[in-house]
Amino acid sequence: MPPIRNASKRKPPPEGFEDIEDQLLIFQNKMKDAHNKPPPTGPKHQAQWEIFQIAHARSRYVYDLYYEKEAISKKLYDWLLKNGYADAMLIAKWKKQGYEKLCCLRCVQTKETNFNSTCVCRVPKAQLKEEQEIQCVSCGCRGCASSD
Amino acid sequence: MAPTGHKYYYHAESKQSTYTRPGLPVPAPTPPQDASASFYQYSAVPNLSDPRVANAYLAQLNAQNRPAQGSHRGGRGGGDSRPRPQPVDKPRSKVAIPGCEPWILVYTRCDRRFVYNPVKNTSYWRIPEKLMAGILELDKARLREKAMSEGPDQKENDKNKEKEKEKGEDTAAAASESGSRLQSLGLEEADRDQADDSSEYEEVEVTDDEADGDEAREDDNNDDEHPSKRQRTEEPVEFSEADIAFQLQAMGEQYGLDPGEYDDGNRDEWPEGAEGVRFSEEDARALFRDLLDDFNINPYNAWEKLIEDGRIIDDPRYTVLNTMKARKEVWQDWSKDKIKEIRERRAKEEKKDPRLAYMALLHEKASPKLFWAEFKRRYRKEPAIADPHLKDKDREKWYREHVNRLKMPQATLKADLAALLKSLPPSLLNNKTRLDQLPTQLLVDMRYISLPAAVRDPLIETYIRTLGPPPDGAGGGGAGGEEEDEASRKAREAKERRERALREHERNVAEQKKRQQRSLEMGRARLREEQREIERAMQVGKEGLQSPLAALREKEKEKERDLEGGAS
Repeated sequence: MPPIRNASKRKPPPEGFEDIEDQLLIFQNKMKDAHNKPPPTGPKHQAQWEIFQIAHARSRYVYDLYYEKEAISKKLYDWLLKNGYADAMLIAKWKKQGYEKLCCLRCVQTKETNFNSTCVCRVPKAQLKEEQEIQCVSCGCRGCASSD
Repeated sequence: MAPTGHKYYYHAESKQSTYTRPGLPVPAPTPPQDASASFYQYSAVPNLSDPRVANAYLAQLNAQNRPAQGSHRGGRGGGDSRPRPQPVDKPRSKVAIPGCEPWILVYTRCDRRFVYNPVKNTSYWRIPEKLMAGILELDKARLREKAMSEGPDQKENDKNKEKEKEKGEDTAAAASESGSRLQSLGLEEADRDQADDSSEYEEVEVTDDEADGDEAREDDNNDDEHPSKRQRTEEPVEFSEADIAFQLQAMGEQYGLDPGEYDDGNRDEWPEGAEGVRFSEEDARALFRDLLDDFNINPYNAWEKLIEDGRIIDDPRYTVLNTMKARKEVWQDWSKDKIKEIRERRAKEEKKDPRLAYMALLHEKASPKLFWAEFKRRYRKEPAIADPHLKDKDREKWYREHVNRLKMPQATLKADLAALLKSLPPSLLNNKTRLDQLPTQLLVDMRYISLPAAVRDPLIETYIRTLGPPPDGAGGGGAGGEEEDEASRKAREAKERRERALREHERNVAEQKKRQQRSLEMGRARLREEQREIERAMQVGKEGLQSPLAALREKEKEKERDLEGGAS
């Protein structure tokens, strides 16, 4: 069991954390609210959609800061990943071609589906029928193919 | 059913109507369809039971009274059921009528006019006889003025138009007047100009459409006074592509959109300036960046937060970019640049000592009455206490030291402060230093904060006054500041220029919209008019069979008159 450290004795986060602290706090509060909400009426699988969506948005935020805007240092980025502010596995997928917009990892887990295929949200809009509205089962994604 | 109650047959495709059944071999005479021929078809006069007699009578009377009736868009006598014209008419200008003092002649936006008496607070579309002379005079004066101001070729047209207008007014006014008066008027006008061209007449004229109800009824009763009904188009009303496009445009106008914003398909026919807000890509991006700058957006925050806050959405510059994707892209670039800028600035700035805030807190709040643990608990919400860059151990040490010093006599403290001030080099502390920008080295020292500010500040001030000027070589920072000022000034100027362009553009667009609206309403009114005309044309009376003959006769007579007029 890891030692529980007092806040005053904890090591301070790396340089630049104060800049993004507010936004991260917003995400944190949203996530807390989503956790504490009573389960919504309706299909059971939809209960987790909001959690997935917030986690995705937060990971995207960290990813953008480091890779797109180059706003945070490597040190801070690693620290954020280590402290669970972003999903390192998801970000690893975003760096691969064809997965730039991937919504969640569950949607590319072919082994978990009946026909060993990816989720419907991975299908490009061009290959879907006209005006077909989809929302995937695992995270409520409406389409995350790179060509969309 | 014809208005007179007779049944007749109408063939929708060939646009023919007959009184006899079309299946019968007997060739029934069809009511005429061209404009001139069916001229009198509307004049259904119930008391003149024989249509032939009635038409002959009418033709004769009208040939006498109105030589140029063909081009006259009467538009009167539609009855009470007629809808009011849609574009709300409003007074535009007024002229006092000479000779009849309280009365005013008011011109409306649709180029109609009525008289108004402000004393009695009454107004008439029908101009009373006693005002006739004054108004005629006014019109003449206006005509002369126009003729003077415009070129000779223009003059002809204008004269024509004016005359038409005048005539419309006059006929309206003189509904109950004697035929001789009308005749003289008609002759006078015939002399002035023979070339009555109805096409240009359409442009201006909206005659007394709202002739009051009793007048209209009067017209019905003695229709021989006003038999002229317009007859211009024969096509049945049906919606073509152009109509649909027109309606789309009208709807767009109602919602205040430019055609560019809903894309009506015919891009070439958009009026000038209607393609939505048209900026060069670069300008639009720059404007959006200005917007982000102006609202003090935190570049570290997420795009979703920016949109959820919704502050920037109300700004007109928000719509400069059309798509959310483009906006997000610009925001991404902007935040990237902004963060870079911030980093550079921070790198340039010397690092702020974390001790400063804590020492200030100690100076303000610490007292010998509080133990460290109590002090810490009481002020744990203060950022200086929560600051992770200072170690708790150090904070405790400094607190204890400070509290111990507070217990010392003031003389020692003063001596300590003097020693501290003396130890600072002249490059940091000199007679140019102000109290609010003392060097950090001084501020974080324990000896500086241990005296109350009321005692300490005068001491330091007097000490600074005794010091010499700053040594040379300290001017580097100032020059850099000026340079920065120059750069920021340039940026500001560029921004102002762009904003001025935006304002101008908005004004242009608004003006364009207003103009379009006006022309659209005029067009609608005309369209409605035409529709009514067509309806009227469809109602062929019992004497419709006779009308071609009557019209022909009338035409001949007209020709004769023209010849006579030319001869004289």
